[in-house]
Amino acid sequence: MSTVLLEAVRISKTFEIPSVRRETVREHFFGLLAPRQIDRLPVLQDVTLTLHQGDTLGVMGRNGSGKSTLLKVLCGIYPADRGEVRVHAGITPILELGVGWNPELDAIDNIFLLGSVMGLSLASIRASLDDILAFAEVERFARLPLKHYSSGMASRLAYAVAFRAVRDVLVLDEIFAVGDAGFRLRCEARYQELHRAGHTMVIVSHDPRVITTFCNRAILLDSGRITAEGAGSEIAERYLAAAMDPDHRPVA
Amino acid sequence: MSGHVALDVQAPPQGAVAVAAASPPAKPGAALAGLVWTLVRTDFKARYHGTLSGFAWALLKPLTMFAVLVGVFSLIFGAERTYKLDLIIGLFLWDFFAEGTKVGLTSLHAKGFLLAKARFPSWILVVTSISNPLLTVVVFAIALTAFLTVTSAGPSAGHLVLFACYVVSLGAIVIGFSLAASVLFLRFRDLNQVWDVVTQAGFFVAPIVYPVGVIPERFHFYLYLWPPTAVIEFSRAVLIDGRPPTPLAHAYLAAMVAGVLAVGALVYASRAPRVAEYV
Repeated sequence: MSTVLLEAVRISKTFEIPSVRRETVREHFFGLLAPRQIDRLPVLQDVTLTLHQGDTLGVMGRNGSGKSTLLKVLCGIYPADRGEVRVHAGITPILELGVGWNPELDAIDNIFLLGSVMGLSLASIRASLDDILAFAEVERFARLPLKHYSSGMASRLAYAVAFRAVRDVLVLDEIFAVGDAGFRLRCEARYQELHRAGHTMVIVSHDPRVITTFCNRAILLDSGRITAEGAGSEIAERYLAAAMDPDHRPVA
Repeated sequence: MSGHVALDVQAPPQGAVAVAAASPPAKPGAALAGLVWTLVRTDFKARYHGTLSGFAWALLKPLTMFAVLVGVFSLIFGAERTYKLDLIIGLFLWDFFAEGTKVGLTSLHAKGFLLAKARFPSWILVVTSISNPLLTVVVFAIALTAFLTVTSAGPSAGHLVLFACYVVSLGAIVIGFSLAASVLFLRFRDLNQVWDVVTQAGFFVAPIVYPVGVIPERFHFYLYLWPPTAVIEFSRAVLIDGRPPTPLAHAYLAAMVAGVLAVGALVYASRAPRVAEYV
């Protein structure tokens, strides 16, 4: 049996949705005498999974099924309300990379910012600068502030940095949905290269081709629960069937 | 477990550029140091982007302000050397406190986009946010020391060390406040406006424009509850008067620093795990 790198044991996560949002001291003060209703939205319910070295686990599910929250809990960005995540290896999250740069800084400074947050040393960022800019195809705009970048350029740059900072486990959210066809090809090539090198992957995607092609197993999420688990191709088919079923209702 | 597997660069798909190889993750200490340096550097760069002298303005600003204040106050309070210097010391230390708490309060929100990217100690965002006000007060301290040395005997080395300790104490107070306020700001988005009002009132609570002696002694205790008061008064005592405060006064300052840091750290620790959910 190969080494276990990550275990999620019966993790649950609930978001509280108030009937009236109060975001200021003033709103809280004047709202003291006006009680509000707080709805609890369970986004993950008793999710259990284990990742072994070399696994490529696909995660499918409709919008709002809890896929992105699951990835954030696995990466330690969100805490689980219940259950436990046991991490035995370094994790590189590649999440929400299309947004969230410092718009006033140029590409090179943003590469340093994101790279150091993702655990790269300054020396390795310096050594990788040309490759990162080339991978993202933004060499000519290296000194242009990010506020002048298109969303596609910014996303490509983010993926180029993240692909440099890989650790044992990569957690990827819609990795192959960014950029044009050429960039997707490069992302897929990079993915396969990392997989061959023994990295473990968790991939969220709505694309059955991605899950079928790149994942040796997959799970299907529905309302925060794992409703199916199996080979990538099998789960991709079940996802498609559920998505095309007009009578499908999310599980309670 | 090894954090990295060596990679062979494969032939890229036709028409694509070479796929970048992976870089090894930094050792924890080096990664932390690199992150701190990058945050400080980019903070300065973003702040002074577009200014005439760029980075140099970070150094020139406190120097020119010091020169202007010395010039203007020399004209207005020519015969009152002590008052003039007391005023300048008070204004600079107050500026450090007000600016440091202002940027510290919004630090997590301002750099919140990084929190969803990876798991890292988010308190670094808060602590590094005061780097710019800290540089300003350090440049001021050097200029003031040089000025005092040229125009009079200047403070002794021991008194300069004490002054440095007071500035560090004020920095610790700013960090303690910022730790708590930065996580609370994510839930209370008008906290910065509330703090603006508090600092405007606090400017007059601290004995900056008036000597503490004009206030009846029975009220001094209340003045010293406001953290900048002790730091400003103690700094004046060692730099201008040449009389360091008593050990009991130092114990009071140390206790206040420890208290603010402890409360700040506790509030921060209680809310920090969920900050990524609120940015």
